[in-house]
Amino acid sequence: MAVTEERLKQSPPCTNNSLSNYLWKDAPDENKWADCVHCGMCLESCPTYEQTGQEQHSPRGRVYLIKSVAEGKLTVNEQFMDPVFACLDCRACTTACPADVDVGGLIEEARGQIRQAMPLTGWQGAVSKLFLHGIFPHDKRLQSLGGLLKFYQKSGMQTLVRKTKLINVMPKHLVEMEAIMPEINQPIKKKYKNNNIIKAKGETKREVAMLTGCVMDVMFSDINESTINVLTRNGNDVVIPKNQTCCGALHVHAGDRDMGRKLAKQNIEAFEGTEKIIVNAAGCGCMMKEYEELFREEPEWKERAEKFSEKVEDISKFLHDTGYEKPKAELNTRITYHDACHLAHGQGVRQEPRDILLDIPGVDMVHMPNADRCCGSAGIYNITNPDMAGAVLESKMENVPDDVEMISMGNPGCMLQMAMGVEKYGRNHKIVHTVQLLDWAYQKEAEK
Amino acid sequence: MARKKIKSKDKHILALSTLVNHPSAILYEKEDLIAYDCDGFTIHKATPKAVVFPENTEQVAKIVKYCHDHSLPFLARGAGTGLSGGAIPLNGEVIISMVKMKKLLSVDLENRRAVVEPGFVNLKLTNTISDKGYYYAPDPSSQYCCTIGGNVAENAGGAHCLKYGVTTNHILGLEVVLPNGDVIEIGKNGIADEPGYDLLGLITGSEGTLGIVTKITVRILKNPESKQTVLAYFDKVEDGSQAVSDIISAGIVPAALEMMDKTAIEGVEAAAFPVGHPKDIEALLLIEVDGIEAGIGEQIEQILQVCRNQNVREVRAAKDEQERAAWWANRKTGFGAMGAISPDYLVQDGVIPRSKLPEVLSKINKISEESGLRIANIFHAGDGNLHPLVLFDARIPGETEKAMEAGSACLKVCADVGGTITGEHGVGIEKREEMRFVFKDEEIQAQTDIRDVFNPDNLLNAGKLFPTPGRCAEVKKEMKAAAIS
Repeated sequence: MAVTEERLKQSPPCTNNSLSNYLWKDAPDENKWADCVHCGMCLESCPTYEQTGQEQHSPRGRVYLIKSVAEGKLTVNEQFMDPVFACLDCRACTTACPADVDVGGLIEEARGQIRQAMPLTGWQGAVSKLFLHGIFPHDKRLQSLGGLLKFYQKSGMQTLVRKTKLINVMPKHLVEMEAIMPEINQPIKKKYKNNNIIKAKGETKREVAMLTGCVMDVMFSDINESTINVLTRNGNDVVIPKNQTCCGALHVHAGDRDMGRKLAKQNIEAFEGTEKIIVNAAGCGCMMKEYEELFREEPEWKERAEKFSEKVEDISKFLHDTGYEKPKAELNTRITYHDACHLAHGQGVRQEPRDILLDIPGVDMVHMPNADRCCGSAGIYNITNPDMAGAVLESKMENVPDDVEMISMGNPGCMLQMAMGVEKYGRNHKIVHTVQLLDWAYQKEAEK
Repeated sequence: MARKKIKSKDKHILALSTLVNHPSAILYEKEDLIAYDCDGFTIHKATPKAVVFPENTEQVAKIVKYCHDHSLPFLARGAGTGLSGGAIPLNGEVIISMVKMKKLLSVDLENRRAVVEPGFVNLKLTNTISDKGYYYAPDPSSQYCCTIGGNVAENAGGAHCLKYGVTTNHILGLEVVLPNGDVIEIGKNGIADEPGYDLLGLITGSEGTLGIVTKITVRILKNPESKQTVLAYFDKVEDGSQAVSDIISAGIVPAALEMMDKTAIEGVEAAAFPVGHPKDIEALLLIEVDGIEAGIGEQIEQILQVCRNQNVREVRAAKDEQERAAWWANRKTGFGAMGAISPDYLVQDGVIPRSKLPEVLSKINKISEESGLRIANIFHAGDGNLHPLVLFDARIPGETEKAMEAGSACLKVCADVGGTITGEHGVGIEKREEMRFVFKDEEIQAQTDIRDVFNPDNLLNAGKLFPTPGRCAEVKKEMKAAAIS
């Protein structure tokens, strides 16, 4: 498959006479690959290179391919698309790279070109359009989906589907996902729709805004609840701006940069006037810190995006930096911590969540080797590339210590993927978000 | 990800695909091959015919035999981090990638040796055995990702080779697939010093021109009881160079003795692992000593004193392991860090007598001025192994050629003061012609005669290591020009 003649005719007119085969606007940025000297220090950090051993599936290989299209040596086609879309966008290479090459940015820009040159067709196109355009950006529809899932779980249908083996008609990786679906509760955004400021318990030290997220709020509203509890407990008034929406990370990862821009603009406007934007999903936090990347051709929005991004902070870093009350109740549990890629590699937040966990009395932390290695979730990668995601998950699970009760982390995508790993490999760890543990410790203290 | 069926109609591709485990273990499409058109040396590029991924010696032997029988040029590639172009398929080779052969086969602590497959990553060996108190000494800066097979081909060195020697000093045995597909074993039972010719020494550092290594027995060492690292900043290169000489003269054998100059410091500080080196110093030294606990403190005192005697601006020992690790991460990622201050670089690898350091560095400075290209120096000062990094921008017409000329001129300076043209990166494509700076025709002939015994058809990694025949300077110049374009 390559770019169709018909699609080529729709490409914008030539504005320069370079040899580049990127025909649409917002092409990969030359300055990003100019930093790469092909040294190969990134190779071992890359999960897809680890699995395949093939250089087109390595960071420097991908950068080289992206550069080759710009130099006119390759065209945008399926063979080019393959390695670019097989990237987990985990950013481990960015940590390893001596020259700080922004591989993630290049990959996302290249995906934008691929999707414009070769729009998805058939069922893939329909499914992607349904979720990325039809559901994630729309509160009501997202909440209805959550409602449906809840109905599915509560009505007995889940049991029925499982017992009647109806489930066997689903592809294997979707069956594995169905098995670990968390229990659906009421979304936070809906709960606080008429009262969007939650006051601090005790004296107010400051006011912060909170991103509720799309998947997070539907699948894990209890984590959003815990986040609010922990914030208010430590003197923060929490504002939940009404017009906020999905952060757009899934869209940008999928190459739909126009939709990403639309959502980014909506969020930038929705959070105008707030001082701090607290995020409890690493993927969203990382995206929101990179909004300016989307506006290379819109200087006015670029500036607004930069100001917006400065306010974005992960919950664990915020608590760590502003101080939090150490819980007094003991939790008595053995846990290990998994670094979400977009927290460790994407935002450089590694020690803060660990420190929080260590501050909870009775928590015995066990070291996980290669804790900052991707689990294979990578947004919706586990749905689009199930084989690779499965292989990456298998390596991850090999590193999870056997004797821990819980695995703590800071990203909903990882939580679903790791839960799948636990289910698939017959383990019985509980998957928790770092703030949940802190919240539980506070609650236990209150019960006393 | 992996495409399932072979789409090619090429009979060789079809035949080779039957010699590996899975259709995805052979690459033949342009988009996949382009990632293999160079290694860590990016000035020359050529596209391979195919890349195959064998998983055991038998498969390697079959692939090699097929190439031999059908006169297909071929070569072996590891992680592709080499800096002299040894893995570049100049003749449209079939690349035999060794990265799927990445097992640690055995560790024998009692006899201090380990057996690895060639695709096993250098640092992984140390990481695997360090909790038992052992390590693998050769530590090229690319050790995070380079393979031990590649280390054998290039006879790789590293910061700590000053005290412990280069790769060849740590190889006890090899299994080698010869260019006709035969398999031989050298250094049986891990005993290196066998009667007869020293084939281990010959194969190690032969840059993949004599055979393909498929199994390697390496020496492992006991972790030193203690180690300590000193960092020293100098306002004048001459003072830093003199300190290097004085440390060695004082009878200290440092595990590592590294130097960086001003431009290099600018690079590492602008990149991913800065440690806050001042930008206005002319040179810094990183000096590490290791050994039994008892003598270390005394040696450190001596080193501090030597540096003070040479007008050091600031000198101190690392306060803890974390600081020591940060200094080393900064140093070891130095080459890649150049990407932060220059789009391209070319690294040279000359060796000189230590006493000539100030003289050679000032000559290199002059080359930089004359060529108008910046040259950074990051190098193993202790053993006189220089790494001038010529910074350039390949997008500017003519700059690549200028960089190559400047690099060559640096090597000429090294050769002229009684040194040589490579310490650890190998000759590859890059320094073929410069071999003439140090060898007479007869001496080169003696070496190519040996190659012809192992590799008579010259199908394995042809065009590397030795200059092309012909003495006329004009011919050389033309060939270089042709190679560049």
